[in-house]
Parts: sequence; C-alpha cells; structure tokens
Amino acid sequence: MLSESFLKSLVGLRLASTRRQRGALMGERRSARRGRSIEFADYRNYTPGDDPRRVDWNIYARHEKAYIKLFEDEEDTAVSILLDVSKSMRWMAEDETAPQKMERAAEIALSLAFIALSGGDRLVMELSSGARIGPRRGAGAMAHFASAVSRELTRADATSMPINTWLRRYAATSPPGMCFVVSDLLDETGYQDGLNVLATSRAEVSVVQTLCPDELAPRFEGDVRLKDVETGAARDLSMDNATLRDYAQRLKIFTDEAQAFCQRRGGRYFLADTSQSTGDIVARDLRRQGWIV
Amino acid sequence: MNILNPLALLFALLAVPIVLLYLLRLQRREQSVSSTLLWRQSTLDREANALWQKLRPNILLFLQLLTLAFLVFALIRPYINQPGQTPARTIVLLDASASMLAEDVPPTRFSAAKKQVSNLIDDLGANDQLALILMGASPRALSGFSASKAELAAALDAAQPALEAANWGAAISLAQAIAQGDENTAFVVVSDGANADDAKLLTGNVKFIPVGANGENVFISAFTVRRTVRGLAAFVRVNNSGKSAASVLVSLRSGDALLDARTLDVPAAGSATWTQNDLDPALPHLTARIDQTPNAAQDNLAADDAAYAINPVTSIRRALLVTRGNRFLEQALGALPGLQVTRVVPSVDGLTAGQDLSGAVYDLIVLDNITATLPSNANVLMIGAGAQFSSTGVFSNTGFVRAEASPIAQNVDWRGVNVLEAQHLAPPAWLQPVIQAQGGGLVFAGDGASAGLGRVVALPFDLFKSDLPLQIAFPVLVANSVDWLSPAQGLALPASVKPGEVIALPGGSQVVLPAGASMAAPDGVFADTAQPGIYAVQTPRGRGYFAVNFLDARESDTTPQPNLQFANANAQTQTAQGLSQRELWNILAALALVLLTIEWWVYQRGLRTRKA
Repeated sequence: MLSESFLKSLVGLRLASTRRQRGALMGERRSARRGRSIEFADYRNYTPGDDPRRVDWNIYARHEKAYIKLFEDEEDTAVSILLDVSKSMRWMAEDETAPQKMERAAEIALSLAFIALSGGDRLVMELSSGARIGPRRGAGAMAHFASAVSRELTRADATSMPINTWLRRYAATSPPGMCFVVSDLLDETGYQDGLNVLATSRAEVSVVQTLCPDELAPRFEGDVRLKDVETGAARDLSMDNATLRDYAQRLKIFTDEAQAFCQRRGGRYFLADTSQSTGDIVARDLRRQGWIV
Repeated sequence: MNILNPLALLFALLAVPIVLLYLLRLQRREQSVSSTLLWRQSTLDREANALWQKLRPNILLFLQLLTLAFLVFALIRPYINQPGQTPARTIVLLDASASMLAEDVPPTRFSAAKKQVSNLIDDLGANDQLALILMGASPRALSGFSASKAELAAALDAAQPALEAANWGAAISLAQAIAQGDENTAFVVVSDGANADDAKLLTGNVKFIPVGANGENVFISAFTVRRTVRGLAAFVRVNNSGKSAASVLVSLRSGDALLDARTLDVPAAGSATWTQNDLDPALPHLTARIDQTPNAAQDNLAADDAAYAINPVTSIRRALLVTRGNRFLEQALGALPGLQVTRVVPSVDGLTAGQDLSGAVYDLIVLDNITATLPSNANVLMIGAGAQFSSTGVFSNTGFVRAEASPIAQNVDWRGVNVLEAQHLAPPAWLQPVIQAQGGGLVFAGDGASAGLGRVVALPFDLFKSDLPLQIAFPVLVANSVDWLSPAQGLALPASVKPGEVIALPGGSQVVLPAGASMAAPDGVFADTAQPGIYAVQTPRGRGYFAVNFLDARESDTTPQPNLQFANANAQTQTAQGLSQRELWNILAALALVLLTIEWWVYQRGLRTRKA
C-alpha cells in the first residue's frame, strides 16, 4: 500500500501534539518529561533534534550507532488512529476504476501510523468495522498494521458501524493521548455525538476528513435519482446549475461546521482531497498544519 | 355547435403517446452517491416550492395536450349556424320545375322559394357576391356573381317556373362552371327536392333550403287514344301522390264537346285507370281532364290535371296499287288501318307498260314491277324500281351490310332477308339508300320534289326473287313506307310533344295555339310549345294537329324531399331562416399555433434558467 521509499521519507517525522506544544519550548519539553519515569521501555534511532543526553552512549560505544533510550513515561503517550471503512468511504463514482477515496484514507492512516511507530509511540488502530489492531509499539510493528488494515479492507463481509456508535465505543476504552480520526464524516446519524464523547475523554482529537473529487464537485447531469450507498435512500434531482450550486454551498457549510466543531473542542481538523497524493497530504499539508514535525 | 368530421376525434388518441413520452422522460437515471446527506437538504429546500417545480415540466405537457386538443377540434371541423350570414360567394340554384308550381305553400312553392332567395339577397354583406341559376329543363344563369342587391332582385323577379322537369345535371355543371373551382363558393339549393336524383352530383359546400309542405296531388299520368274496329278507344290513368285516397271526376272532351265523364277513386300513392271505347273515329283530338276533386287540398298542382291526344287516324288514305298480281303486297297494304287500296292490274284493266297515271289522285301509288308516268307530287312506293330508274346491271351479292337511321328502316330486321338478284340502281341524288347490301342499295328513299315527285321509296328487286315477303321485315317495311309516304294526318306531325319542345313543321305553316292565338312558323320551326294543349297546324298540304302534354309522373309526384343527397354527405338542410355554417377550424388552428409558440417559449425559458 505504501512504498518503501515513501515510508523512508517519513523517517524522522514526529506527531506533534497541540497540548504539549502549547507555548512549549524544547527545554520545557525536556523538563516536563524528566524524572517522570526511569523505567526503561525501548530504544529507537536517533534523529536530528533529539536531546543528545538521551543517547545511550553504551550502545553507541558498542555499535557506533546512536540510539535513544525510551522510558515508560513516553509509552503512556499512546497514539490511536481511527479509520472509517464505511460504505461511503468505499464509494467511488461510477466512471472511476479504483476506490480512490478508501485507498487514500488508508494510506493517510498508515502514514500516520508509521510516523507514530517510528516515533516510538504506542499505537492502536481501530476500524469502523469494529476491528482493532494493536496496541503495538516500535517500527517493527508497521508490517503488522499494514497487513491487518489491508486484510480488513479486502474482507468480503465488511460491515461498518455508524460513526457515532463507533467513536462512542472507542472512547469508552481509549487511553489518553493523540487520537486521529480518518473519516468522511458522512453519516446519516451525524458525527457530532461521537466526536463529543471522544473529545471529552482525555484524548486529543485530530480529524482528517477525506472527500473525493466527486463529492467536492459532483459531475452529475440531467434528471437523476441519487441513491445513498449506506442507507439506500433515493433522492430525485434535476442536476441544473442551481442544484449543483446549492450542493456546493451545503458542502462548504458541512466542512466548515466540522472544522469549527473540532476546534471548539480543542481538536484539529484537516480536509483532505483524496485526489492528492498521500505524500502531498501527509508530508506537505499536515506538516504545514503543524500536525507533524 | 355541430361537427363535420367526427372521425377525426380518433386523433385525440395521440395524447396517449405524448403522456407516455413524458413518463419515460421523467424516469431518472440512477446514480449511487456516498451519501445523500447534502443532497437531501437541497431537496428539502426544493420541496418548499415543490408545486412550481412539479408544474414546470407539466406546463409543457399541459401546453402540448392543449395544442393537441385544439388541433383535434380543428380537424373535426366544428361549425356554428349563423342566421342570415352568407359566405362571400354564393351560387343559388333555384328549382323552376313543374312541381314548384304546387300550391301547398300558397301561393306556390316557387313563390316561397323566391322569397327564400330574396332573403338571401337581403342578407348579403357589403362584399358578398351571389349568382342565380334557374333550374329548368335547360338551366339558365339569371345573374352571374353580383353584389348589387337591386340587380339580383330584378333577376329573381324575372324567374318563372315552367312545365318541365329540371335538368339538375346541367344546372350543377353550370353552377360549377360559374364557381370556377373556387372551393369557398357555397351552393344554396332552393327546391322541393322532387325528381332530384342528380342532386348528388353537386359537390362542395352545399346548403339545401327545402320548400313544400306536402305531396298531395292528383294527376293524369297517361292518356292515349288508339283506333279500334269499333272506333276510338281512350285510355286514362290517374295517379294520386297524396297520403289519402281521392275521388276525382274525370271528363273526356273533344274541343268543347263533353264526350263522357267518370268518377275515379284513386287510392293514396296509387292510380286508377279508365278505358272509354266506341268513340267517334272522326274526332280529331281528345282531351282528358280532372274536373274536380272533392277536396281542393288534395290537388296541389293544376298543370298536370289535363292531357291531350290526337286521333291517330283522322282520314282515310287512298292508295293505288298497280300490280300484275302480288298477294303478299296486297295483304300487307290491306292490313294497314285507314288505308283504302285500289288495285289495278294492267292486263285486266287495260293498262299497259308505261301507262300514264298522271291523272290519278291518290295519297299513295304503289308500283309493283310496273313503269308508269306519274302525276306530279305523287308519293310512290316502287317495287322493282329498275324499271322506273336506269340501272347499270344486276348484282347478286345481296348480303346485308347496314341500315341507315331512317323511318323507313325503323324496326326492320333485314339480316334474315335473302334476295336472289337486284338491279344496280343509278338513282338521282335525292334518292338515298336506306338499306345497304354488299353489292349495292336494296331500299332507297328520298323526297323527289326536284324531280316533280313527292316522296319515293324504291326497292330495286322483284319481290318474287327474294324471300322478303315471307319475313317479318316485310309488313314492317311496308307499314313504315306507307306512313312515311303518306302520313296519317297527311302531315308529318308528331302526335305529342313535351312543353317547350321544338317541332319541325312544313314551311309556311300557321299554328293555332290552345289559347286561340294564331302564329306563323315561316321557317318550319315552331318553339312556342310552353302551354299544354291541342295545337292546330294549317299548311298548304292540309290541316293537322299536335298535342303538347305535360305527362311526367315523377315531376307530378310533388312529395317534398326535405333531405336531398348531395355529393358532400354533410350538406346541411337549412331551415326557413336560411342559416349559414360558420366553420371554426381556422380559429382553432390559429389558437393551436399560438399555444405551440407559448410552449416553445416556456421550453426555451426553462433551458435558460437551468443554464444560468
């Protein structure tokens, strides 16, 4: 799903938390962690910018390679990635050949997962089908996540919960930490309840809303009967300019509301156009947004 | 409102495919979407003004159905009757036949018809034109297209009916010639519809204004007089076209003298006959007349209450037969009524060949293989005429070729006649062959005035050298020849003619009309036969009579036909007010066009709104 070279380009990136970054300087960050725990947890590769004092010099002496020692306090900053695999995510326009939207969403999720794992964070992935992958830690677990996600996506009997149910269920068991939700937020019953519950748990919520071009700018023509892939509900519409203009307006209100909703609850929001490459979205846009450093 | 073409209502079925096309058009293409969440909201918005949204496509449907409705209404050709309105060009055919003289509509049907036409003339609009045709035996255009009411009224005033049957065919041809193929010309027929079978020839926009109240009429349909051994026998048939039996007094007169009278009971729509025998054979002519009916209302038409007949034989014709003995000829001549034959046998009576007969005074001389000197103006039947005229030889190929249209050859069947040999006659120019054989003429006839003779019939063969005397053709030929050579009245007058018929009279004749007036017919043609009755003719060669009879059972049957059959089955019978049809299809078609334009405009507007 993700190429080796692309993953390599992500090495050294870290997921950034707004809470910890809030008014934070490097020194503060260090002092905040210092003395929390002395219990060794794991090693990870040194990346430029790491505090040189945390390099395990014994290992460096033996292997001439710099490793950072990780302690228990960092294990507690768990990262959870919630990937929506509902029918609306799997939907593709009739003239498309590949479910671009689902694929791109999975790649974004896995990219974030890779960044989290290579940053030594403890990672849990939860799909809206109810499948939970992890928790695991360390870059070595990447293959496990990738294969599990791809297995879930190719399952013939794929089911999916409504977003609210799914997020509520996850919030009940979620550890505090960073929580990324990759979803189109398109659900008959809404998403607000679920996000509310999630945000009021101790997790810091970041929402990546994935929408494909056919949702951002539909190309319908003439008199059509639109059928909802999730509910089966049908809507008869005449695709004149007024209708399309109206849709664009509704969409803008919908995404703006989602963004405002997230920000009001101290979360982050990013609208991803799935026609963009994963590299552009993750390595460029999310970095620009400050989600990744 | 009435319709002319109800079958066109079937076009209304086109509404079904139109609606079906709309249903198909509204069947939407199905498209799956990730969610209708955002779409539904806009749909909800739409449902706020759903009525207009639903109506927008339906306005087109409505307009199209309305257009179709108007077109269908135009196709069924509805019309309304408008009193007193005549189309721009109208040709009025006014029946002037004898039945229009019936008095069931006082004073006469013709007067009532003229009143109707007069109303039409009064109702003419400023630019309307009207032409008048009088339908008699020979139809006449009283007036071509004219917008002048005074001119038309004057032409109408001059119209008079005649005792004749209307010639509908000719009148319709004349009307259509005047119309010059203009389909907008309306024809108005004013008639009682009696004896109008040819009315169906009239095509186009026809209106029929019937006149006549009832068909009560008693009339003489046949009157003949013939000679019998006991004198004259008269036969009268009286018909009754009415709905009730009539008891009528019929009289038989000669001139003013009443011969007999009888009451005949004529059943409704039936006839009664009366044969009167033993009348004086010397009576020159007879008149049968319906003198009275118990109820005047039972006899609407007076013109057909009298009939006239001429005594077929008023004088004994004297014939001189010069023969050496010919039993066939003697019998054939002897059987003819009113012919007194004097037989002369040359050997017995001391006559020799080439005998001079110039002193004999006979109506007719028959020469049987005899040559003789003939008196001037003598009418002669020559058998074996080769003796009298020069011949160029004998021929024996006497097979029948043809008979000319001549009174001599009338009803003579020569095909079975065999002639052994005949003289090849070289006749003078005035003597023309009547019956032609392969070798030459076998019967000749002509008026020998230029040769100092009267009429001559010549047979260039001996009767004994043929089987002609044994054939049925022989007595017919002899009778024809005698009648032609010496007419029964001494004058070649027809016994009876129809009113208005033209007859030929000998030059210099003087005619006394039934009313008593005397007229000269210097050029031998007499046409003033409008009045039925006995006409007396005085000629240099004698006095004779001919009768003018209006005997036309079909015309006398005055039963009015309120529904005439015209070529256009939709011809309308008009009431007395003279209604005119005003068709509405052009208005409906124009409305359909307007609707079509609106429909197009609505459609275009819809497209623009959607694109905007």
